[in-house]
Amino acid sequence: MRHLGAMDLPISLQEGILRIRMSPREDLTNNLMRVAKRDPEAFDALYQATSAKLFGIVIRILHRRELAEEVLQDVYLKIWERAGDFNPAKGSPITWMAILARNRALDCVRRHAAMALDDVVNIDELHNCKSEGHMDVGFSDDLRRLMDCLNGLPQDKRDMVLLAYHQGYSREDLSRRYNSPVNTIKTWLHRSLAQLRDCLGS
Amino acid sequence: MSDDRDINALAGEYVLGTLSAEERNFVATRMARDPQLTEAVLYWERRLAPLALQTPSVAPPPSVLKEIKTRIASHDHRAQSKNNVISLERSRRRWRLAAASMAALAASLAGFIVMREMTIATQPTTFVAVLQKDSMSPAFILSVNTKTRMLSVHPVDAKHEPGKSFELWLVHKSLQGPRSLGLLSDKSPLTTSMLLKYNKAVFMDATYAVSVEPEGGSTTGAPTGPVVFAGKLLPDAL
Repeated sequence: MRHLGAMDLPISLQEGILRIRMSPREDLTNNLMRVAKRDPEAFDALYQATSAKLFGIVIRILHRRELAEEVLQDVYLKIWERAGDFNPAKGSPITWMAILARNRALDCVRRHAAMALDDVVNIDELHNCKSEGHMDVGFSDDLRRLMDCLNGLPQDKRDMVLLAYHQGYSREDLSRRYNSPVNTIKTWLHRSLAQLRDCLGS
Repeated sequence: MSDDRDINALAGEYVLGTLSAEERNFVATRMARDPQLTEAVLYWERRLAPLALQTPSVAPPPSVLKEIKTRIASHDHRAQSKNNVISLERSRRRWRLAAASMAALAASLAGFIVMREMTIATQPTTFVAVLQKDSMSPAFILSVNTKTRMLSVHPVDAKHEPGKSFELWLVHKSLQGPRSLGLLSDKSPLTTSMLLKYNKAVFMDATYAVSVEPEGGSTTGAPTGPVVFAGKLLPDAL
């Protein structure tokens, strides 16, 4: 007599067992793949797991709630359309989604170039962060290395990189903030990027 | 753009987000035919992503998910009702890809076109596009007179299968999908006033694409077959 294996259980239980065994990253990957097959439940699960992270990213770049909400809609519509393009061999699902969200937010903020910067949400008020379940494996090493390299830059140069990356500052925005010509900002950014690349390696 | 440092700087700024809308567009278009640039962008995206994931979460209001679902439903509905031969989804993706990569290819042929056009006619109001599969095989030369808005297309080296037709489409982001400009013969030129219906800004910036359709053209009002040639307008006085 053979023992009951997982495969003998009803499908719903099998899935339950799989779910327990899966890391958050595998869970997201699994959901993305089901979204590619137009599975609405997987889409809901994916949205619940990632929307606050992606909204945090886009609202900091866009500075405006209603624009950020619109962009977040676009992002998830794109995810619905393009989930099949995600390749688990090339990175984690949350990274793929975060890059998609940032790109969409940056395209939008540049099109609304004349946005009044005093009309911004208070970034500090947004720090209602929840603990996140889907940090990548090896993520903290990557982050540590990046932070080490960023800390190798002079403080104002590092701040510029972070303001651009997190808050969507353009060269012009940085030029106003640092009271320096746009070309100088450009030169500094290029120098910082070259130094970062040397430090990070390939 | 062969200098590694330039590519690194451009890709880095693209990912940081400091480029203007035009520059972002340029990079996005150029990536379609510049593997070195694509690789540099992917490098920065991957290297800087840990910062994005550090960003504190902000819960979006429940209305956002509702709105997304409405949009998905209407999106899928549209896709289904228009879907004849291939899924609209795939065709949209292919059109977008074709628009980006073919624009790049046409630009790379600019020198060739200028030489060619100068021997044909030199008018400041004439713009030309080479509709092609790759830079070695131009299929049609398209020209637009911006004053009269007349469009003419001359076959160079194009052959379609028996029982099929080539159909010319105007593709632009401001239009709801590709718009037919008429059927192309592989033997005789086409001259049409179809562009009178469109804004100059639209037809100057658009991608002109050729798809393979059943004989007599698409019956759905949208392309149903593969895009085989495409190109964008360039001034002949470049």
